[in-house]
Amino acid sequence: MAANSMPISVPSEKPLKLVKWKVKEGAFVSHGQILFLYSDSSGDSGEIKKYKVARAGTIVSIKVREGDIADPGTCIADLEECRHPTVMKEMCAECGADLRAEEVQKHDVAIVPMVHSVPELKVSEELAQKLGREDADRLLKNRKLVLLVDLDQTLVHTTNDNIPPNLKGKTQVNLKAFIYFRALFPCGDNMVCIIDDREDVWRHASNLIHVRPYSFFQSTGDINAPPPLPEDKPRLAIGKNGSQLPTSNQMPTLDAEPEKDGKEIKDKQTDEKEKSVEVENGKILSEKPDIKDGEKIDKPLEPPPCVWVGNADGQIEVDDADDYLIYLEDILKRIHKHFYDIYDSMGQQPIPDLKFIIPDVKSKVLAGSSLVFSGLVPTHQRLETSRAYQVAKSLGADVTQDFTDKTTHLVAIRSGTAKVNASRKMGDGKSNKIHVVTPEWLWTCAERWERVDERLYPLQRGGQSSARRPPAHCSSPPPPPVRRRTPSGRFMDSLNPLLSFSSDDIADMDREVEDIFNESDESSSDDEEKPTDDVDDEENISEDRLLSLETSQSSQDRLGENKEGNDSSDSNTEDGERPRKRPRPSTPPSDDDVPPDDDDSSWNLMGAALEREFLAQD
Amino acid sequence: MFYHISLEHEILLHPRYFGPQLLDTVKQKLYTEVEGTCTGKYGFVIAVTTIDSIGAGLIQPGQGFVVYPVKYKAIVFRPFKGEVLDAIVTQVNKVGMFAQIGPLSCFISHHSIPADMEFCPNVNPPCYKSKQEDNVIQEEDVIRLKIVGTRVDATGIFAIGTLMDDYLGLVTQ
Repeated sequence: MAANSMPISVPSEKPLKLVKWKVKEGAFVSHGQILFLYSDSSGDSGEIKKYKVARAGTIVSIKVREGDIADPGTCIADLEECRHPTVMKEMCAECGADLRAEEVQKHDVAIVPMVHSVPELKVSEELAQKLGREDADRLLKNRKLVLLVDLDQTLVHTTNDNIPPNLKGKTQVNLKAFIYFRALFPCGDNMVCIIDDREDVWRHASNLIHVRPYSFFQSTGDINAPPPLPEDKPRLAIGKNGSQLPTSNQMPTLDAEPEKDGKEIKDKQTDEKEKSVEVENGKILSEKPDIKDGEKIDKPLEPPPCVWVGNADGQIEVDDADDYLIYLEDILKRIHKHFYDIYDSMGQQPIPDLKFIIPDVKSKVLAGSSLVFSGLVPTHQRLETSRAYQVAKSLGADVTQDFTDKTTHLVAIRSGTAKVNASRKMGDGKSNKIHVVTPEWLWTCAERWERVDERLYPLQRGGQSSARRPPAHCSSPPPPPVRRRTPSGRFMDSLNPLLSFSSDDIADMDREVEDIFNESDESSSDDEEKPTDDVDDEENISEDRLLSLETSQSSQDRLGENKEGNDSSDSNTEDGERPRKRPRPSTPPSDDDVPPDDDDSSWNLMGAALEREFLAQD
Repeated sequence: MFYHISLEHEILLHPRYFGPQLLDTVKQKLYTEVEGTCTGKYGFVIAVTTIDSIGAGLIQPGQGFVVYPVKYKAIVFRPFKGEVLDAIVTQVNKVGMFAQIGPLSCFISHHSIPADMEFCPNVNPPCYKSKQEDNVIQEEDVIRLKIVGTRVDATGIFAIGTLMDDYLGLVTQ
């Protein structure tokens, strides 16, 4: 700072009398502004002259008072040059200086793009932090928190299938109310809460609420899945199985700035109707996944899940039974309340961190319950490593291998297992009966963050629950609804969780993005020659992988056909297409082995191979 | 500042327009090609007022296209540093605000907005508000600003403005 300050000395050879200051100490002056009026000290009759400053900056100190006489060479004031903390299109937004013309070394002061819609507008780190602090203060003052909202498959779902044109984008029914609710949470520090239907995007950040993907168009899947294989297309056209993605050419552009989607809600709402694009979820993307019109794939439309009623003016009304946002709203309200309860009780000093609060709120859901699983965890797998265990733990429940005195719930796949029988016997004599429930109960609890009435999910005698895997909606691509990492201090010091990615992480993400582009290039150019330029080892491998994927894929499809009508077939096929991006859940085959689980091992192998491949690159 | 000046432009015409309407086509083409453009030197060409002369067309060898040199007068808008202008606020954010002066867009940094005005993101639309709440600047408002810098490119002009001077700020109608 001091290095930038320069003295303003007496402008003439003779002593001068300072008549009047035109600026105050600490004032910002721009180039050419009048600093003070002066006259020659020799004669009172001397004309009054103006002193204009040559550079823009801040007057740090004024050393000569009005009426004083200054000798040549004395310093009249100190001027600190503008450090150009805000730069717009390579012009300093404070002094108006053209930074292209100025010396090059000053360019690096303003580096943080602050406003997502105006990337040219950059501010210095110092100023960015100041703005961030102001934001946090404002939030606390207004008792608000930040909510980062993922759009695709969380709030909106779009498709490019053949459907009535005004239905191209379908918003969640309660969206309107929800956006208003969003005003409860605007922008800051440890005060950011994320809702997304994919947690891997956020690296399982603990301030993420993993929500159920909003899937309205049944035949439209998740386009974040790796693009379908070239061989897929003919099969799609035949339309044997309407459940996979017709997309290979619409891999959207990834954007490195996650804050985007929260703010783009309005844009999205207005233009979603023209966009014939499927949803992509989770990834933080610019919302312009363009696709060319001619490329729509013609395929028979699956019977829609909802009733479409055409009314007089051609608009179509749809009954959508999805009420998840109601539960989500409740979750968010609880988090908000808990945050400010703690904030108030701690005397407002250390600002609580949502990364601890959210897991904390969640762990109260099933607090005091003690669960025993039956048929959920494969015998060869340790209980602690299963998804079901992690889900239950994150909800605050205790999970034991066998019955204890405290056991309150038995979560069982089907009746007739030893544990189920045992529980029935144990329950006979006691007043506090053990609840025997299906896994859906657990998934629903995890989805709604509330203790769902056990009576809604009784284990049917003799019947087998279909939900050994978590149900399609809360797992659609990835299985169990929520997994949460225990709070760690990792994010503590960061201004916001997005900045806390290490450079390695970011490099990782970049690689992933590049990868996606490479892959989509490959598959979209299936009728051209294979791209010859920059095909390196990595690409060859992924090509191999695609081929091997294809084989398993078709085997899964056959399975899907067998269980037609079973809605989990959707998720099976989609599952298969993203072995890399989603951590494959440890699937819970156990006492009763059904063939579908067999190919899991091949998936796992493939996943491991991929992992090695990526590690090898580093 | 607005100027009424003489300018020149060359119109390249396809041979299919050769016919009785030839000169009309040249004029029409001049309007579409020139109005609304921006040159670094003269600023934004707002409107062509008169076409003074259409010179002799020169046929391009080997192509058949013909080039007409046209002299015309136009009203141009050229912003200058230090100029005070009325603008319409287009976007307000925590770093500052964007305003539009006709075709010219202008950014005013938070630093150049009087210190007593605070950014309020919670109202809709977001605004800058003074403590007494008697002075509110939000989107669509008319403000008077002073240009402190301009970036003049070959194809466009962008300006940086300030509200830190007497009589600048919200213009009350």
